[in-house]
Amino acid sequence: MLETDIGIKLENPFILASGILDENGYTVKRVLESGAGAAVTKSIGSSERRGFEPPVIYSDYNYTINAIGLSNPGIEDYGNEIKIALQAGKPVIGSIFAQTPEEFAGLARKMEGYGAYAIELNLSCPHVNGYGMEVGSDPELVSAIVSEVKSKVNIPVYAKLSPNTSDMMKQANAASKCDGYVLINTIKAMKIDINARMPVLSNIYGGLSGRSVKPVGIRYVYEVKKETGKNVIGVGGINTLEDVLEYIMAGASAVQIGSAVSSRGIALFSDLSLELEKYMEMNSISRVKDLVGVAIR
Amino acid sequence: MRYFTVSKNIREAENVNTLEFYDSINIIPGQFIMAWVPGVNQIPLSFSSTGSPKSITVKVYGDASAKIAGMKKGDRIFYEGPYGNGFNNIAGKKLVIGAGSGIAPLIPLIDDDTTGIISGKTAGDIILASKFNPDHLIIATDDGTAGRRGFATEAMREIDIESFDMIYACGPEVMLKAVFDYMKNRDVKCQFSLERSMKCGIGICDSCSINGFQVCHDGPVFTLEQLREMDEFGRTKLTYSGKRVFF
Repeated sequence: MLETDIGIKLENPFILASGILDENGYTVKRVLESGAGAAVTKSIGSSERRGFEPPVIYSDYNYTINAIGLSNPGIEDYGNEIKIALQAGKPVIGSIFAQTPEEFAGLARKMEGYGAYAIELNLSCPHVNGYGMEVGSDPELVSAIVSEVKSKVNIPVYAKLSPNTSDMMKQANAASKCDGYVLINTIKAMKIDINARMPVLSNIYGGLSGRSVKPVGIRYVYEVKKETGKNVIGVGGINTLEDVLEYIMAGASAVQIGSAVSSRGIALFSDLSLELEKYMEMNSISRVKDLVGVAIR
Repeated sequence: MRYFTVSKNIREAENVNTLEFYDSINIIPGQFIMAWVPGVNQIPLSFSSTGSPKSITVKVYGDASAKIAGMKKGDRIFYEGPYGNGFNNIAGKKLVIGAGSGIAPLIPLIDDDTTGIISGKTAGDIILASKFNPDHLIIATDDGTAGRRGFATEAMREIDIESFDMIYACGPEVMLKAVFDYMKNRDVKCQFSLERSMKCGIGICDSCSINGFQVCHDGPVFTLEQLREMDEFGRTKLTYSGKRVFF
């Protein structure tokens, strides 16, 4: 009943978002075993990267701002983590970040070799110079990255785009050779402590996620689905079933959840599955697909 | 962020200070804060007193801990938290085992009947010994400069550990693993407070994880039974970048 298809088949539409609980293979395995339909890994680059010094996160009831700084062990050491995660028997999606099409393609091939079911291109991290959003805001580069990666791997490739540029459709069109869009990444933001009279994050700027960003995510999912008709994976501020339904009705075939794991714990994946199933039964809906994009006008 | 205002700074050892403050915050022994030194860093610190006054005991490892250790009356300790599950503090006969500054979060658990084992590399690492009844305290140092020569596990051999209702241990994971191995086949109840690389404190960044559990959020306190199921314990961990390394 909850099955969905985003180029890979998922037993339910709930995916662990990149950057949350997905650095260590054992954690990914535990999240998948607790009910997530799939998990995206932390964004992995070509070499080991320490990331920023704490504070790297500031969190409130309504929002989280993070600047972890793309810390990761490097692609060579990540195969073992994916191997552990895959023991759960569910899809693991490899998130990668790089600067050039060739570097992206090399990482994607490694991920495919490690057993990743799909690739998520991080074209949108808002807080690290030279990566993410800076790469993703150049349409020609985005187009070249997607083409190069698509030509080198046989698994689906998703483009995770940024809400920080003025024209989302320009990015989406540039990435049109991808198998689906992941919308949205975090929004560049900051927090100042009034007593210390200082920015809280060591990097000053971070990426805003959590409840506050949901309306922005809904808008972009709606817009991109309406314009392209391609698979969209919605992400940003999902806490409750109502949030999930909004994203699906806006056009998302699956959703990713990140910040809410902190408040609801990893049980939220199975809780949301039960709630969605109940909603579908009550409304005589037999497939998630029948709800996707129903609000599009 | 919230803050505590320091009321007193007590020097415990050459590089260890206890900072006292009065605050109504509710803290379970074993919980910790992410203490922020603006412009420097943010580090996890646990409470060496949860009553009144409350206190944290900090050992100098880097710039942030040095700044905090040097704070004066009236200075502010900015923080997020308290975080973590804390110890289940039982009434009964207790044994606490702490290595180095790992003894600090165990202090709120002790009463007159509590036995303590404090271990360290050398005499300078032994802190907070005065909090114990001297008749119920064993000190062990690697080099024999204080107490008995040897590790905490050697001190454990001198007592009947099965006679305690609960054992609490805190310190570096290698030390905890040795204590765990000594106890795992005995009829004892034990709670271990783990130390791993923490960044977020709220259970989402995954840098402090052990077998899929977050030390900052699901722990830092885990029972003997829980650790039995964790094959990462004392074997592998993630570095600050997320790279898996062996102990």
